[in-house]
Amino acid sequence: MSSTNTLILAYLLTGLTIGLGHCIGMCGPLVVSFSLSLKGRIFVPHLLYHCGRILTYTILGGILGATGSFAVFAANIAMIQKGAMLFAGVLIVVMGLAMSGWIPRTKIFSINYSPAGFIAKGFGKLSRSQSVIFYLPMGLILGLLPCGPVYTALLGVARAGMEAPSIYQGVLTGMALMFAFGLGTVPALVLVAKLAGMRWLKSRQRIYTIGAILMMGVGIYFIVSAIRY
Amino acid sequence: MVLNCLYLAVFSILLLLAPIAPSIADSKVPANINCEIQKGPCNQTIDGRKVTLEVLPRPVKAMQDLTFKVSMDGQVADGQQPFIKLNMPAMDMGNNRVPLKLNDNGVYQGRGVIVRCRSGKRTWKATVVFPGIGSADFIFDVIY
Repeated sequence: MSSTNTLILAYLLTGLTIGLGHCIGMCGPLVVSFSLSLKGRIFVPHLLYHCGRILTYTILGGILGATGSFAVFAANIAMIQKGAMLFAGVLIVVMGLAMSGWIPRTKIFSINYSPAGFIAKGFGKLSRSQSVIFYLPMGLILGLLPCGPVYTALLGVARAGMEAPSIYQGVLTGMALMFAFGLGTVPALVLVAKLAGMRWLKSRQRIYTIGAILMMGVGIYFIVSAIRY
Repeated sequence: MVLNCLYLAVFSILLLLAPIAPSIADSKVPANINCEIQKGPCNQTIDGRKVTLEVLPRPVKAMQDLTFKVSMDGQVADGQQPFIKLNMPAMDMGNNRVPLKLNDNGVYQGRGVIVRCRSGKRTWKATVVFPGIGSADFIFDVIY
């Protein structure tokens, strides 16, 4: 097995162990809130969420593999991550409000509001929509959240990028490593989501309310974290 | 509806208070920090031998390139490449390893990065490992 393949396997296994420990603790509440708020269909939304998240990791891996410098990445990513955390927090709170039914969906944002017509229409669609495709961009955004183990994985990618014979090879290696890492984190979170979405729990309307509350709590946590970051 | 808003309000208050909760807890539990890395080199022992760790530049900040310098009393056998494992005592942050090489001054030196934790916790652990001899933990606070 080549050294790159060995590294990819190592990253996959690292993702698995990190997923069972760190991810369940930090992102578990988020996936649980998704499961509790989704009435009946949890597999596809979670699959899309993870696809989005892994795609973001893969792109970041390509960037670090090309630049070979974690310090440059760190210097430039902080404000983007802060913004992503704030945006995701607001989005999740709105999702929670819409799914709870406490606020009439058409009251969240009027689709006729201007001049921010584009954004208002977007949120309006979100508040009315039950479309699961929403979870893909959610995953893309949440993949940008500051995360220690992801940073650690990117450190290794940067080192691999520095040692790569060409930028092209560095990009490919970086993308492969972070794809493997992200894939490794999936089983643990899917397990948590599945346990939370078990049918015998969903027979009670109160669980949906708890899910909406949890979702809003997670959103508020992201907003507070973004302010403090 | 009112009850649900109350639940959310209580949860939000608890969430906002959470950042200071560790401070309250820490005041009751002895701190396990054993190194003032921001002030200068720290010492521990491995197998009865003094090991010194210094991290530069100071102040030691997360998310930037750092130079780790390690020295040990006595001889270290050739081929035994020491390294440092960086992690948090409270949370697994992945496999962050800093390989060390002997420089011209007889000090082992390597470059690495202490990453940042979203939780806001700043206490990190540098485990200096000399294969075949032993390891020592240096626990300190970094600046975010």
